[in-house]
This record gives sequence, structure tokens and C-alpha cells, in this order.
Amino acid sequence: MVDMAQTSDEYMDGAKDKAPASRFSMARTKGSDLTARGEPMVWAMGGSLAFGLLMISGFLALIFWNGFTAFWPKPLEIVTTVSGRTIAGEPLRTESYHPGAEILAALEPSVRDAIIDNGGFADRTLYRIGNYDFYGNDFEWVSAYEVKSVATPKDLMLVERQEWGVFIGTLISMDADGQVSNRPTLDALNAAHERTRALREARIAIEKGPVGDINHEINELRLSIRRAEIKYGTDSPEMIAAQEHAASETVRLTKEFDKLSAQVLAARAAEQSVTVKVADIGGDARDFPLANFVLYYFANDLSLAAKVQIYLERWWEFLSAEPREANTEGGVWPAIFGTFVMTVVMALLVAPFGIMAALYLREYARQGRIVSLVRICVNNLAGVPSIVYGVFGLGFFAYVLGGSIDAMFYPEHLPAPTFGTGGLLWAALTLALLTVPVVIVATEEALASVPRSMREGSLACGASKWQTIRWIVLPRAMPGIMTGLILAMARGAGEVAPLMIVGVVKLAPELPIDAIFPFVHLERSFMHLGFHIYDVGFQSRNSEAGRSMVFVTALVLLALVLVLNTVSIIVRNRLKRRFAGDKF
Amino acid sequence: MTDVTAENGPDSKGPRRSVIYTRDKKTKTSVVLMDRLAGRVISVGGLFVIATVFAIMMFLIWVAMPLFGTGSASAPHRYTIDQSGAPVISTSLDEYASLGLELASGGHLTAFHAPSGKRIADMQFDFAGSQPSAFARTLQGDDIAYGFEDGTVRLGSLAIESRLVAPKSLPQGLTTLPGGDRTDGTAVYLEVAGKQVRRLAPSLALDTLVQVAPAGTPIRFLDYRIGGTSERPTKIFASVDAQGTARLSAAFSHVDMMTGETATEIVNTEVPTGLDVSAISKVLLNTQGDRLIVVSKDGLLHRFDTRNPTAPRLAETVRVLPAGVVPSAVTYLNGENSLIVAGADASLKIWSLIDRTSKDTSDGKVFTAIHDFGAQPAPITHLNVSQRTRLFIGADQAGTVALYHATSTRRVLTFPDSAGGEKNSPVSALILAPRDNAVIAIGEKGDVRLWSFDVPHPETTIKTLFGKVWYEGYPEPGYTWQSTSGTDSAEPKLSLVPLIFGTIKGAIYSLLFAVPIALLAAIYTAEFMHFRVRAVVKPVMELMASLPSVVIGFVVALVLSPIVENWIAAIVLAFGVVPLTLIGLAFLWQLLPQPIALRLDGIPKLVAFFFGVAFAIWVAMKVGPVLEYGFFGGDFKAWTSGSGSAAPFIFLLILPVTFLITFSLGGRMLGSAWRDRLRSKPYHIAGAYELVRWIAFTIAALALAALASYLLGGAGFDARGGLVDTYIQRNTLIASFGMAFAVIPIIYSIAEDALGAVPEHLRSASLGCGATRWQTAAWVILPTAGSGIFSAIMIGLGRAVGETMIVVMATGNTPILDWSLFNGLRALSANINVELPEAVKDSSLYRTLFLCGLVLFVMTFVLNTLAEVVRQRFRKRAAQL
Repeated sequence: MVDMAQTSDEYMDGAKDKAPASRFSMARTKGSDLTARGEPMVWAMGGSLAFGLLMISGFLALIFWNGFTAFWPKPLEIVTTVSGRTIAGEPLRTESYHPGAEILAALEPSVRDAIIDNGGFADRTLYRIGNYDFYGNDFEWVSAYEVKSVATPKDLMLVERQEWGVFIGTLISMDADGQVSNRPTLDALNAAHERTRALREARIAIEKGPVGDINHEINELRLSIRRAEIKYGTDSPEMIAAQEHAASETVRLTKEFDKLSAQVLAARAAEQSVTVKVADIGGDARDFPLANFVLYYFANDLSLAAKVQIYLERWWEFLSAEPREANTEGGVWPAIFGTFVMTVVMALLVAPFGIMAALYLREYARQGRIVSLVRICVNNLAGVPSIVYGVFGLGFFAYVLGGSIDAMFYPEHLPAPTFGTGGLLWAALTLALLTVPVVIVATEEALASVPRSMREGSLACGASKWQTIRWIVLPRAMPGIMTGLILAMARGAGEVAPLMIVGVVKLAPELPIDAIFPFVHLERSFMHLGFHIYDVGFQSRNSEAGRSMVFVTALVLLALVLVLNTVSIIVRNRLKRRFAGDKF
Repeated sequence: MTDVTAENGPDSKGPRRSVIYTRDKKTKTSVVLMDRLAGRVISVGGLFVIATVFAIMMFLIWVAMPLFGTGSASAPHRYTIDQSGAPVISTSLDEYASLGLELASGGHLTAFHAPSGKRIADMQFDFAGSQPSAFARTLQGDDIAYGFEDGTVRLGSLAIESRLVAPKSLPQGLTTLPGGDRTDGTAVYLEVAGKQVRRLAPSLALDTLVQVAPAGTPIRFLDYRIGGTSERPTKIFASVDAQGTARLSAAFSHVDMMTGETATEIVNTEVPTGLDVSAISKVLLNTQGDRLIVVSKDGLLHRFDTRNPTAPRLAETVRVLPAGVVPSAVTYLNGENSLIVAGADASLKIWSLIDRTSKDTSDGKVFTAIHDFGAQPAPITHLNVSQRTRLFIGADQAGTVALYHATSTRRVLTFPDSAGGEKNSPVSALILAPRDNAVIAIGEKGDVRLWSFDVPHPETTIKTLFGKVWYEGYPEPGYTWQSTSGTDSAEPKLSLVPLIFGTIKGAIYSLLFAVPIALLAAIYTAEFMHFRVRAVVKPVMELMASLPSVVIGFVVALVLSPIVENWIAAIVLAFGVVPLTLIGLAFLWQLLPQPIALRLDGIPKLVAFFFGVAFAIWVAMKVGPVLEYGFFGGDFKAWTSGSGSAAPFIFLLILPVTFLITFSLGGRMLGSAWRDRLRSKPYHIAGAYELVRWIAFTIAALALAALASYLLGGAGFDARGGLVDTYIQRNTLIASFGMAFAVIPIIYSIAEDALGAVPEHLRSASLGCGATRWQTAAWVILPTAGSGIFSAIMIGLGRAVGETMIVVMATGNTPILDWSLFNGLRALSANINVELPEAVKDSSLYRTLFLCGLVLFVMTFVLNTLAEVVRQRFRKRAAQL
């Protein structure tokens, strides 16, 4: 035995000598070995973590700050440059930049030297000068070295208009039905504005309501003829009857339409009866109908309460109105609504199927090699790029499925596709497919976390398999399933790439749910917050013009996604806590 | 045992006495039914979902597969159109392949119903007694020119008029042709979609004659083109007369206001060819009239530059066939930039005009053979090209007709012979229908063969999608993606290689940035952090994963990229300064006496990290501009485009290497003596020594890097053109930073989970043996969790490969093949996103985009499966430890 112990000791010693980490043996001798502390690596690791946290917090801060301040009324400034030009505008932001070599060469030597001393950087401020119809340009950078003086007169006015974007200038006079008043009081202006805006809203209500209905009916009549033709053949009695019916109806509708258009014309004349004369900073005076003004204020003459009011008004318009000016102004209500409806439809589709698949995998399928293979694949599908689902959605749902539906149920619309192109249903289905692995994985985990003892207990009491699942397993797994579902919704709401292929548009004329039968129009294309960001940020005339809108839209989308995620985390934590005290 | 059975048996009365058994033992039918129903529904539904998910791949394959198919051709319709012995010189076919025209040498035209061969009409060109000696057609085939024995030329047209007729205004008494079309003896009426009728009728016209060659000198060769707009056409033709004089002629037609007659005026330019007429094989003109090609019988191609019509000159002479081989057929390919040259040796090649300075050419362009079809079964005698694509058909001496595609360099299909086994006579006229769906070949004996065919994607093969292709006008074969272009005659270039390259480039750069940060952060979180702090930090990092990528893309592309553009020098510098500063701070931290260091180990140290990073970025921003002026000539962007010395950037690149060298060499030189000396000192004193050592080594490394970069720069090494290139605002650097937002949280979260899954007892054992936390993490935990970390990186890679919106927004989407960090890229995903909304269903582009989707699917599926398998193995192993 002693011999044995000795040999084994020797063996151990030998191993120690061979061990690559000879530093271990050194570390045993007492003293301060700094390499053992690995302080530089610890700092590299900690620094990486700090960097990651700075990335996320900086990102969120950027979005939140820009989003929340976008609607706050800023003061208006009149800048007089060294060259004698005057610019009136709203200062948006200031940054340091590198003036190019040509610009530098053209500068005064003293200014140039100052810039070079500053590391080649100069400061500049971006002014929103508005008045696109006056200048053909509505943003301007003003470098700090160009500025001679800055003034903030109280009579400078900012107007958000229905068309042509923002106007910045001074108010000269108001002409209400021929009564001209020079420099009208704000109260008089407000009263006239309220009146004409009300007229305008009434007119739009007519145009959207009855006039839209008539157009819809005329279209329906045309389709009814085509339907008869397809069903009974060309020149069949049914088709002729439909034609006659359509002819008589069209006469009636046209009459109604004429009556309504006369109303609309009258309303339009009434709302245009009040005009205001405004002049830009250069003194170029023009008349505008007051009804075209959405919002106006004297920016340098606002109390805090007035500022708050404007701020809230703008938020309300943003959340409730339709977009204007190629989406760069106005609201995003259709996009919010579209995102919401799409996400809900997606959740309705994904929930039953995802849960069914998970139940099958966990409770019904015989656990074996194949099921674990399937499980790996399902897991991996969560990592398949979303764009691939978009490709599939377009090719299969829209073209193959939708094309067949059109041929079967909507032949009278052809060749214009009904379901045979991107739309809400296909977008929701595509996203459902995209998120179904998330739900399957989450549900499976939730099902697996239900203690086996509970199942066995239920079965032992004589419950059938389905009864056990229905009354014991599912209720226990519900929080987990909900977590998965909410996570899927968050992912779906934030996903844009596949939607761009299967049905999102920059401007949808109609909401997917409205008062026209059958009320829910799943074939319609729709607007989406995420696509709105892409569209306004990248496709619009001037990315600067939509920038603040994009920030606010991003804020709304981010808030939606973050709220969904937070809810899922809370639900998950609850689940954990419940089971922590639930041990058998 | 028997007792039990007896007791439970139905006959047994015993159990009835027990209270428990008084209940009805039978399960309720509804429960049984419900159970069965639920089982069925769940099984069917579950299997359905799983099957659907797998059907995606099948569907992608199903859509993409036709790209590699060849297509099919019908058996020929055979019939004979008798021309009473006159040879056929030309033929036409309308776009519905219904009406065919056959022009015999004497000017006799027969119109026939193409599917059945029934004669519709006979017409005759009136040559007013002249004897035609040359004939030419424009590319579209509707306009013709005749040259005569007396040296005159007559322009004219030979067209199929096509117009829609209302069904009600159809003429009476139409006879029905086989196949359902109708005729009135002059035209064919066919029903088209929308219940409309299309009338197809032949039409002939001949303008007045113009004298081109001296009277009595026959015109031997003629080529005719119409350019300009349809309102103001420019008619040009080239002719060679019997004396060998080549002329380029422009015809101006104007209508006489008084008489209403059309008068044609001709402007002639003689082209000095220096060739005998008997040596000429083919004369070709292009639509702009700035190039005249004469192919001689000895296989030489003479190209004349006629851009200056008053002074035409020979631009180049190229041998297109071996000496002694007579060209058997030569014609322009659609677009008129390439020639198809078939020789008597059965060769078939495409020659394209390529920009290349050479001593053999006077205008910087050279005809170069870009496609070689190899030896054909027999010499090709007749060619006809598609008017829309790079398809063409050729008929060989044996009368076999085949379809070729120029760009994909393949014989797409050979038109089948009829089952009857009739012998084909040599072809004398050949036409490809305007829609590229039918072919008529007319033999010398007037026998007509008509094939309809369907070749949906002739331009795509494995080779064109994944290999180098020599496109027209390109100096060399290459990988090109250019799906659309401004002109109709340009062909789509669909190579997936730049896209796959872009995907990999984006993924690699973003991982280079994300992996170190994510892994180091994960190790710190798992091994060095108090669990309460971890409970806050981890969800915050994971929050990053839920940021919608469109928001990231917007911020990165529109907010960050202008800032980065301004501060690019500082940002490049930050890649060196941030790690250096952190490590420097670590050495400073070691100066703290141990009790204080231990007391500050938790939250204060974490805060110090933040300040360290912020301080480092501040330093980089301060030093960046200075550095920019000192080393990059004051403008880093201008430097990337090629101004200034290459050395400064090499210095930055080489820095990690020199650090490695100095620290490993220096450490070895100091050796264990240094460490033994330190060991006898208190921690903070040792720290001071270490700090001095580190500063010395760092300075040495910097000096070494400076020296090396100076030498390498002097030797001509330059990162520009490779790793860095001309700075573009939306570039790979920006995109990688954006993708880091998507990738870091994934790698971080999975890696942290993997580290956390290492059994606690390993950690305890290591710490218990006296190892520090760093030693435990580096030598015990990391090796154990290695496979888990590997799978984290793979999943991160999968995400980076598939990311779409960030790439679409933050890069310029330029499909290029270079590694430059400051240039854009075009990833597969972004490409699909940009192109698919515009792609026509079932077009080649549409299917190619599905193939892109499939490639992406397979790439990510393989990566994820690998990761998943490794992770499962890791889990099993971790559980066993």
C-alpha cells in the first residue's frame, strides 16, 4: 500500500511538471503576483460591458430625447450673415463639421486659421427656413463664422400649412369676405381660423362619406355586370338585366353626385373666403386661405402654457391625423392602426397553430430522435432571416394562394388583383410564420416546466389525456405561452423587411377596417410604423424635412415594442415566482 | 391473482359493495370523444404547422429551379410553300406566330398561315424591270432594301400589319383555318385575350429608286438600318458594288407639299476598304451609322470608323477565323455590340467590341472573342437573332436548327426533327418570332418547318449565377449584378457572387466588432459581477435585441453616418485608443493598495469602466483631428482616396502585431527574475513596477510600429485599394456598427447563459484551490463553456447574415467585390428587399431573387444547426460534469 501511494505521488509530480500552466505552481508561493489578478483583462471585459451598455443607453437616449422634443415649439431666429443676407428660421441643431478644402480656401485668412486651430472643425446650425413654395428649399445650414447678428423679433410667425410645409414670416393682413383688417389680433385670427377649419372639416366629411359611397356603389355596379357576364355569358339575359339596372342606378347616383359636388364646391368657396396676407423675411407677400393653416403661432411670444398647448396639439395631431406632405408632416394614425391590426391578426393566427404544434411535440409525439431533430429545426427556423419569409409570403401566399382565391371568388375584378397581391392577410400570415418558432419554443418550455407529478396526479385521478392538458397543463403553462406570444408580437410589430414585400405601402387610401361591408378588409394593403420610418427617412424629397417625424415615429414604435417586451418579462418573472412556491 | 381478475370481472358482485365502486365506471362518451378529437386536431394541426415550416424551403426550391431548366420545343409543323423553283431569301413571322411571310428571290411574296401552312395571299414587288442583285433587312425586319444590277437601290418595307378589330366590325364570310383562326383571303384574324380580334395582314411598299453606284455597276452587298426616333427616322445603308467600292449612304425622305409624293435624297460616302469584291463575305452596318464592318472570306474582320461621315477610316483589322476558313454566317447580336461569327470549320464565337488601348486599333476599341461555343456538329449557314434578348438561332448545313444563348454560352436546345424522318434540306431562310417563342426555317426546296418553343430562362445557368461571365463591353469576365438598366438592349446581369460576398463581408466586419465586445462583456457579467447587478445589467443588454432593426438602420444611416463622416479620423483612432486607455487604467488601478482595491471592487469599479470608456472616446476625439492634420494631410477622407502617404494607416494596422511582439519578447527577456522580484513586494509597489514596464513596452511597440510602417510604406505597401478605399458616407463601417446592435445582445446573452451553465462546483473548486477569479474564468470556466460560446458566435453570425433593414439603410447597396471598410456592400437580404417589389412574377429576376432567398435560408440554416448541435452537446457535457 505504501509503495502504491508513493508511486502514485510520483506519478502526480510528473504530471505537474508536464502541465502547461506552470504558473499555477508559482502562484502557490506566497507573494503578490499581478498576472494572477489579470487586471488588464478585467478592465477590457468591464470596458466592453460598459461600451455595450453605453451603446444601448445612448441609442435609447437619442431616440427619446429627439422624439420627445420634436414637437416642442422652438424660438424663431433672424440671422444676418456677414455677407448681408437675412435668414429667418427655426434652429434645429448645431454640430461640428469639416469644411472642405474649397470652402476653406475661399474664407478670410483669420477665419480659416481659427478653424484650422480648432482641428479643422467649424460649428454650424441647421435652420428650418420653411417657405418651400418661396425658395424651393426649406432647410439651410448656417456656419457660425457666417453669422453677424441674431435677432428674435416677437412678430415672427410659424405656420404649419396643409400644403407646402411650414411658413415662417410675418402676418400682414386678414381678408374676411372682403373685410380687410391690417395686423389682426390673435383672437380675431383664431376665431376666423376655427370657423374656416370647421367648414373645411365638414367638406372633407362630405367628400369622404357620401361621395366616397357613391363612387363605391358605381364601382359595385360595374362589377355586377362583369359578374353576370362571367356567370351567365356575354349578352345573356342576366347580363343585360344587370346592365339595365346599372344604367338606371348610375343615373340616380350621378344626380346625387352632382348635388353633392355642388355642395362641396359651395363649401370650398366658403372656407376660402377668409385669406391672410403673409410675407417672408425678404418682404415677399402672398395670400393664403386661412383654412389651409393647420397650426400657427408667434414663436417668440409664447407663454409656457401656450407652448405646452402647442406641444400637446401636435402630439394629438400626430397620433390621430393622416399624413400630409408625402408623409413628412401630419400624423401617423393610419400607420399606427395598420401596425396594430396587422399585429393582432398575426397573433390570432400564430397563437392556435403555435400552441398546437408545441402540444403535439411535447404531449402527443413519441419522444425520440425524429422529434428532437424536428425540435432543432424549429429552433433554427427562429434564426432564418425574416426576408426569406417575405420572399415565401409573396411567392406562395400572395401569388399562389391569392391568385387562386382571385380566380375562384373575384374573377370580376381581374386582371386587377384582390388577394393576388400583397395585403394585410398575407403580411399577417407571413409574420405568423416568422414568429411561429418563437411561440413553439416558448410554449414547449412552458409545457416542460409543468411538473410531471401534476400530470401524473391528474391522470391517476382518472382524467383523460385531453382533460389533463386542458385543465391541468395549459393553465399552468399559460403565463409561459403568453410570454412567447407577446414576444412574438413584439418581434412582429418591429419587423419591416418582409412586410415591404408582402403588402405595406407608403400611403394607403383606406384603413383595413371601415364602415363598408364586410368591415374588415384583409386584402387591403396597409401602412406600418416601421415602413413609415424607412419611407420618410429614405424615400422622401428631403430626409431633413421628415427627420423629426421619423424620430417621433421611431419613438412610438420603440415604445410599443419595449412595452410588449417589458410585459413579457414581467409575466415571465411572475411565472417563475409562482412555480418557486409550488414545489411538490 | 385469479382472485383479482374475478373481483374485477363484470360478473363479480363483490366490488359493488364498496362505496368507491358505486360510481359508473364507464368514461363519459363526450370525454372520450373530446379526447380523441383533441388528439386528432392537435396532431394534425401540429404536423401541419411543422410541415408548413418545412414547405418554405421546398417552395423556394420549386420557384428557383426553372432557372436551371432548358425549356422545351414542340415537334415541327411541316409543310411546303411552293415558290415554283425560286429560292427563298427571307422570311417573317408575326408576334403571335400566326402569319408567316416568305420572300422568294424574284420579289414574289407569299403570306401563309403559320400553324397550318395554308396560303393566305400572294404578292409581288414591282421592280419595274430591274434585276435585284442584293437584299437587306433592318434588325426589326420590317424594312428592306434591294440593290439592283444597274447600281440602284430601292428602300421599302415588308411588314405584317397588326391591329385590333372590334368583333362587331369583322368582315363577313370568313373561312375558318385549322386551329380556329379565320381568314378573308387577305389577312388572318385571330382571337386574343379580352374577346378582341387581331387582324394580321402582309404589307409591301417600295420607295423610288436611288442611284448609288455608277450606272450599270451591280450592287453586290447591302445592309440597311433605320435609327433615330419613329417621328424622325434616319435611314442609312451600306453597299458594295461589283467594283468593290463600299459606300455608306444616308437617305432623307421628304414629302413634296405640292404633289404629295415622297422624294428620297441620298448622301453617299465612299469607304476605302481596299478589298476586292470577290473577297468580301459580309457587310454590316450599325444603327448609329458610325461603324461599318466588312468580313472578308479569308476570315478577317475590317472595322471602319465612320463617326466622321466625310472621312471614314479603318479602325482595326481582326482575325476572327483561322486562315483559310471561310466565314459561313456573320451577324450582329441584339444591341449591335457583338458579332456572331460562324465559320466553315463549324466554329461559333461571339466577338464583342471592348474598350482596350492597343496598337492594333485607332479608336481604343478592340473586337475580342468573349464567348466560344466550341465546334458545332456542322458549319452554321444561317443565323437569326432575337430582338429582345441575347438569344439567337442558327441553322447548319445539315438543316438542323438550334437555339443558342450568347451570354450563357450554351446551345440551349436543338429543335427536334419530325417523327416521320423526312430528310431536311439545307435551310435558306430562318426567323425567330418577335416574342422568342417560335422559329420558322425554310429549306431550299420550299419546305417549311415551324417550331414553337418555351425557354423561360436561357440566360441563367449555374455558371452565369455563380461563375465569371464576360458581359458585352466589359474588359474581362467578372461577377456582376445589374438587374436593370436604362436601355432595352442591355441585358440583365445576375451573378450572385457579389451578393454572397457582400453578405459575408458585412457579417465578418460586424462580427469583428461585435464578438470581442459581446464575449468580454459576457465573461465579465457571468464571472465578475454580483448577481444582483447582473439581474439588472443582463436584461438591459438584452433590450438591445428587441430594438426594431428599421429604427437602428435609421439612426445609424441618417444620424450617425454624417457624424462619423466628420469624425472619421477620431473613430479610426478610437479603435486603438479605447483598448489602450482601458489597459492603461488597469495598470493605474494596480497602484491602489490592496485593501482599497478590494473595497472598490464592486459598483465603483463598474462606474470606473464607464468613465474609462468615456474618457478614451474623449481622448480619441481630441487627438483625432490633431492626428488627421499630422499624418493624413488634414483630411482623412481625401487620404482614403489616395492622397498622402500610406504609412500612417499601416501604423494603425500593424499596432496589434507590434504589441504582441514587444510584450511576448519583452516578457521573455525580463523573465521570471522580474516576477520573482515583484513577488517580494506589496501589491501596489509591484503595480508601480508593472506600470513602468507597461509604459516602456507600449512605447517600444509604438516605435516598432512606426518603424515598420515607415519601411512598409516605403516599400510600397498600401492598405488603400484593399482594406480601405475612397470614403463613402454610407459604408461597411457604419453598417457593421449598426449590425453590432443586433448581434451583440444575441452573442452576449447566449454566451452568458453558456458560462452560467458551467456547474458551480467547478468554480468553487478552482477558487477553493486558491485560483483568482481571473484564473478561474480563464482556465476553468472558459474552456468548459467553449462550445457554448462557439454556438453563440454562430447564432450571431446567422443573425448578421440575415439582417436586412440595417444593411439596406446603412450601406449604399453597391454590388461590388472589395474588402474596403469605407465602401458599401450589397447583401443578399438587402438585394431581395430592394429588387423583389419591382420584379415581374416568374421572370428570371424574380426566380433569381428566390434563389437568393434560398441561399440565405441554407446559409443561416446550416449555421444555426451547427450552433444548435454544438450547444446541445455542450449542455449534455455540462450536465455530466
